[in-house]
Amino acid sequence: MSAGGAARRTADLLAATLAEEIAAAGVRVFAVTSPLTVAAGLAARRIGAPRLALAGGFTCLDANPVPALTLGEAALVGPAPVARDWAGDVFTLLARGLAGVAVAPAQLDARGRTNLSGIGPPGRPRVALPGSRGLPDNNASPGRVWYLLTAHSPRTLVGRVDVVCGPEPPPGSIRRLITPAGLFSLEREGWQAIWLTPEGRDLLAGTPDLRVTVPATTPVRRLPRPRTLAALHAVDPHEVRAVEVADRHAARRLWAEHARREAGG
Amino acid sequence: MAALRELAALGRGDLVIVSFLGGVDVELLLQAGCVGELHSAGVSLEQAGLAPRFRAARESGRPRFVEWSEGALVAALEAAARGVDSGLTLSGLGTDLPALNPWLAEVKDPHTGAPVVAARAVVPDVALLHVPWMDRAGNAHVPGDLAVDGLLARAARRTIVTFEERRDLPAAAAALSRIWIDEAIAAPRGAWPSGCHPLYGPDLAEVGRIAAESAA
Repeated sequence: MSAGGAARRTADLLAATLAEEIAAAGVRVFAVTSPLTVAAGLAARRIGAPRLALAGGFTCLDANPVPALTLGEAALVGPAPVARDWAGDVFTLLARGLAGVAVAPAQLDARGRTNLSGIGPPGRPRVALPGSRGLPDNNASPGRVWYLLTAHSPRTLVGRVDVVCGPEPPPGSIRRLITPAGLFSLEREGWQAIWLTPEGRDLLAGTPDLRVTVPATTPVRRLPRPRTLAALHAVDPHEVRAVEVADRHAARRLWAEHARREAGG
Repeated sequence: MAALRELAALGRGDLVIVSFLGGVDVELLLQAGCVGELHSAGVSLEQAGLAPRFRAARESGRPRFVEWSEGALVAALEAAARGVDSGLTLSGLGTDLPALNPWLAEVKDPHTGAPVVAARAVVPDVALLHVPWMDRAGNAHVPGDLAVDGLLARAARRTIVTFEERRDLPAAAAALSRIWIDEAIAAPRGAWPSGCHPLYGPDLAEVGRIAAESAA
């Protein structure tokens, strides 16, 4: 079972970057939200954060998930016993800056605000999206937030979000953006490149409203670090992470293949 | 889901629904035309994509959608559980939510003057929960994520729990004490087409079929 080469490379790059970020962040808990983030969280445990707790839900804050399609509880919680916490604890962890989370908003803007409510004026969406969900809580947290986007697109990366679901992050909080263009940090002046992929400058040119600063010394990274890549392959040997990055046709094929495997076929 | 189908069959068109994070449940209720107002932090069909009936409702303005953040809805339910009129939270501060949701108000903390969001208590008349197991004493057992079900049970005036199986299980392992349960009803496969961990997973084919039917 294999994704296309480009999709696999992108999935590896995004997941490896996130894993390294999590391992370096020192958070107690990382909240998983997709197969790729599960793979990154599990890999982070192998490359420097062995005691990292992975939150697989609102009350299962220290679970042992596996990268899987549905992210239903069979994958998020698994067969092992899980300590149960009060639902409010996930918000306590966020408020105290002890949890990190990777989110994929429909829009992210030049000041770090996020939108998952709708496209169009607030309250009168031309295109309705799922709703704010936890974006207000995540963005207000003094803890780590990674914006993980599988495409570096002007539809998503905008000058100002249509609806402010996630507020401007608090001063001093660390916010990172991970896309196929590279790794970026939200500074007081706006987004700044930490490193770029070989395609990074071209992709940035397509999202001018995000107003990313690229210092002259910004390095170009071609491949994930071998140690991180090895950790990723060990925790996600079936490469479920690539489903998130593949184009629609390939994703449908991969979905069917993974579904058969997960069903024991 | 079994209880929701019964609810939909009543033919009411004015129900106020609170679904912390909705999915097929909300789609079915919207399809049945029984929702007068919907409170939620988000509705989607997850792997099956966006929820067509929910999207249509929001884009047309009917039925009314009251948009919450997860943290603000937790604050509102906690306030209800504690019997106070509002819960204070930072969730929603600096966002468009207080302007969109009349249950949220940006106020000054009376002690410090710092801005904070006051979330009006949400007191459901009835909480409908589904669990895999009920023990002989009437305690509910959930081996997976209880999500906010425990909070809903404490906030609501009445709690009805449907369950898959009655089992001999230790009360100490229960996720929700019988103290919070007013009525328990056996409903095998009662979560379908959602999953009920660890007994069965979601029926993704059926969810996809509902999504296609909703979109048609």
